[in-house]
Amino acid sequence: MGMREYITRRIIYALIILALSTVLLFGMVRLLPGDPIRAAMQQNVDLTDESIVQEVRARYGLDKPVHIQFVLWLRDFVKGDWGTSLSSGEPVWDMFLRRLPVTLLLFVGATFWAWVIGIPLGIFSALNRNSYLDASFTGISIVGISIPVFWEAILLIYALAVIIKIFPPSGYVPFFTSPWQNFMCIVLPTFVMGTQSAGSFSRYIRSSLLEVLGQDYIRTARAKGLREKAVVWKHAAKPALIPVVTVIGLSWGHLIAGSFIVEFMFAIPGLGRMGVDAVFARDFPVLQATLILVVINVLFANLLVDILYGYLDPRVRVQK
Amino acid sequence: MTTATMEGTEPRRLSQVGFKAIVRALLKHKLSRVGLVIIVLLFSMAIFAPVLAPYHPNEQDLYSVLQGPTKKHWLGTDNVGRDLLSRVIYGARLSMSVGVVATAFSATIGVIVGLIAGYKGGWIDQIIMRITDTFMVIPGLVFVLVMASALGPGIKNVVIAIILFTWPGFARIIRGQVLSVRELPYVEAARASGSSGLRIMFKHLLPNSLAPVIVASALSLGAAVGIEAGAAFLGVGVQPPTASWGKALRTGYSYLERVPLFSIAPGLLITAAVLSFTLVGDGLRDALDPRLRGEGKKIK
Repeated sequence: MGMREYITRRIIYALIILALSTVLLFGMVRLLPGDPIRAAMQQNVDLTDESIVQEVRARYGLDKPVHIQFVLWLRDFVKGDWGTSLSSGEPVWDMFLRRLPVTLLLFVGATFWAWVIGIPLGIFSALNRNSYLDASFTGISIVGISIPVFWEAILLIYALAVIIKIFPPSGYVPFFTSPWQNFMCIVLPTFVMGTQSAGSFSRYIRSSLLEVLGQDYIRTARAKGLREKAVVWKHAAKPALIPVVTVIGLSWGHLIAGSFIVEFMFAIPGLGRMGVDAVFARDFPVLQATLILVVINVLFANLLVDILYGYLDPRVRVQK
Repeated sequence: MTTATMEGTEPRRLSQVGFKAIVRALLKHKLSRVGLVIIVLLFSMAIFAPVLAPYHPNEQDLYSVLQGPTKKHWLGTDNVGRDLLSRVIYGARLSMSVGVVATAFSATIGVIVGLIAGYKGGWIDQIIMRITDTFMVIPGLVFVLVMASALGPGIKNVVIAIILFTWPGFARIIRGQVLSVRELPYVEAARASGSSGLRIMFKHLLPNSLAPVIVASALSLGAAVGIEAGAAFLGVGVQPPTASWGKALRTGYSYLERVPLFSIAPGLLITAAVLSFTLVGDGLRDALDPRLRGEGKKIK
């Protein structure tokens, strides 16, 4: 299969999953208890007046059958009309644009930590296989994978914001207000978000590098008298990193789950916080948009991984 | 992952390894031995909670709220004067049972669906696989958060959400296994001798595809405990006054400066639970997967 056909296939496949998951999420959100309109209007509208309720329901399209609602919603969503928030009255698209840079910044920060910690741990583990260093790095990685984000966040807040007051315990300062404060605000949240990825990177890199180092051509490279450094960096590193591409991509897709909890805990006004708030406010236009974004992010990351993988390792193109 | 390198080695069948051999392999593996010990401790804590806990978990002493560790209350008290140690011990009941129940159901559903997909193949397989893909692009915690709030708060709904989120993983694993054993001669022989599809699926394919399911179950137990705690932490999980680690962590977080143990102690147990299931899952994979057999031994 050629590269072009392979990519086309992957894209079509991603679109199918996107369509299916959109239907699933739409259905889930519509299951939300109570009438969202009533819930939203409770504070300031006389609910005994049925005609007002009906009018508002009609404005949000809630008087139509569910499948019609879905088609209408999808049409508007594609056009960039994501509805307005039931709690703030703000267009969801505007909320998204305002919050996107914050969450992206967290993603980049988390990825930075994951790489800076995970990659060296994995490489050193593999190169010092079976040493105490290897065992302790493996232990650290497993703890990193297992530790729940909220607990890690609490430990770090307690240690570095309560006892030793280096970082603020929560809150967010935009970059353009004060770059330094912005930096201090995101150190802990990004570290917490990146921990799990760091753990899995290190484990995958370790096993992948060990596998490559056991190959015949590495023995050949050593046999012809290459220095160990050259063997590792010139011959082993690149093929060892190929399977790791998958883990890196998948972890990007799933950073979003971490951002839900981390933004909630650190009071950071990003997309994760928007999602959590929307769940509790039953703000279904916001919730729906957030969920679709979560799925698009995961699918996009998976798609990139597939394409990159197909490019790096032609063998996967033949498989289904 | 690196499917190309897997060629030629078949995952070991459970019947070939045997239960005792698995336990022996687990005990040999240092890290999974640690995991096994923690799991046994946590389950004993859950089962013997009434004996172990110094107080009833809901007993309030309003004269001593938010205390640090004292002789009377080893871990201190929470914001309504309940003994933290007792709360934490009883919390094990909730976490462990959520993990076990959710995993049991999702493994069963996943195994049945995966068997059908792998055995039937064709368009049935295609449809089932696309459905699993659809569930798998939604991150677990997000899924549970939305589902639990859609169905209403409460532990039952969290468990349902965890099951819905985890079964596709099992289905995919068993399908892959079935595909690799489906064409083996003994299955062909069963078919030639007139066995029904059901008999082939459950009598021949299932026992020989179970090994990775056991590994996945261990990992899934850990994930379920973590997700339940996360849901409780965000406030959609179990309702008061049931003792829950995630809930205690959330409340304790508000009093972090005054009584750090209030949130740190339950968090430690959640981590221990997730960690131990991960360790045992890893050990099981090494024990059941001959490709990694060597590596498992080399880690000292």
